[in-house]
Formats: sequence, structure tokens, C-alpha cells
Amino acid sequence: MAPLQKRALYSLIIGVIFAVALILLFVAKGDVTTFDEDSGFRLIVYALWIGVPLAYLVIMNLTLRKPGQVDERDRLIMEHAPRTQFLSVLFSLMAWVIVLTEAFRDQGQVPVIYLTLIMISTLIIGTIAQSLGILIGYWRGVNNG
Amino acid sequence: MARVAKIRNRIRRLRFDHDEMTQEDLANRAGCTRQTIIALEQGKYVPSIELAFRIAKVFGVTLEEVFQYEESSQ
Repeated sequence: MAPLQKRALYSLIIGVIFAVALILLFVAKGDVTTFDEDSGFRLIVYALWIGVPLAYLVIMNLTLRKPGQVDERDRLIMEHAPRTQFLSVLFSLMAWVIVLTEAFRDQGQVPVIYLTLIMISTLIIGTIAQSLGILIGYWRGVNNG
Repeated sequence: MARVAKIRNRIRRLRFDHDEMTQEDLANRAGCTRQTIIALEQGKYVPSIELAFRIAKVFGVTLEEVFQYEESSQ
């Protein structure tokens, strides 16, 4: 397994664990209104939200900086990964729009808290999808030209 | 009729002809990772011109002796 492939796999596992933990945290705390009312809970979510993408960036940068760890094929795979990222983010935003429209159609307005949740989920999905894009690149293979 | 192009290589053969050079050794000398050499030998990756020249230089042969361009009609 290539060093970048290994890092992408670790990042994917960390990202999925983080996403599941966040969902479980919300379920355990009640519903999304708790996030709005409980400042302690908000602080935990913000810390996780900023911490995990930062950890991801550190992991990736450490891999890229080491000499001989990444070559032209790895770079090519990394260049293709944003396609997966873009599609994942696009579909997640579409899902948010459909779900929120259907859930709050009667009220005629969506609670402000959902803006934060959409941002958090977009960041998490973007991070997970980048790792997934890299792993798909290794699986499918890439070519110059 | 569509034309299908394929680039084949003789890297595995050349490694064995050069004192059974390991993939790791070739990767270090050509400046790439062992996984890229594996992908090249399996025909799963076509290298850049630069890497192709570096690999040929390691074996001390011309580019055409390592890589062959084949075109066929389908």
C-alpha cells in the first residue's frame, strides 16, 4: 500500500468515526434544539468540528512533506480526488434542501441552527470524500494523458 | 472503427536482465515509489515522459526499448 493510500485510509476511518460519534452525540442529547440551547454541547461540537479537519490536514501534510513518500502517480490521484469530493458535497446539499423543505414546509421557515449543521456536515463529508476519492483513484488507476 | 492505443513496457524483463534488480531498487533510482513500479509492470499506469526517461536511464537503454506504443482498430 502506498504511503498516501495508507494515510487516506486512516483519514477515512477517522472521518467516519467522527461523523458517527457526532450523530450519536446529537441523538443522545435529544434533538437539534439542544444544540441551540446548550452552550456546553455547542462547544464540544465546535471543538470536534474544527479539530478533525485540522487533524486531517496535519496527517496529509506530513505525508506530502516527507521526501520519497509521494510521486507523480500519487499526485495525479490527488488531483482527481476533488471530483468525488465535489459530487459528495453536491448530493449532501441536495439532500439537506429536500429534507428541510419537506420538514418545514408548513412553518414557512427553517430554524437558523440548520445553517451551522449544514456547514458542519459539508465539511465532514468533504473531508471523508477526499479520502474516498484518493482510495478510488488507487483502486481504479490513473494515467497521464 | 475506433482506434485503441496501448503502451506496453518491458520493465519486469529488464529488471531481471539487470541482476534481478528489485522493484524497490528501481523505484529509488528512478525517483518514484515501489507501488508505481508495481502499477507500471501490471500495465495499470502510464508514466509521464520524464519518469519514462528516468526508468530508461536506470537500465541504460533507449525509451523505445522500455516502452512500446501499440495501436489497434476495434
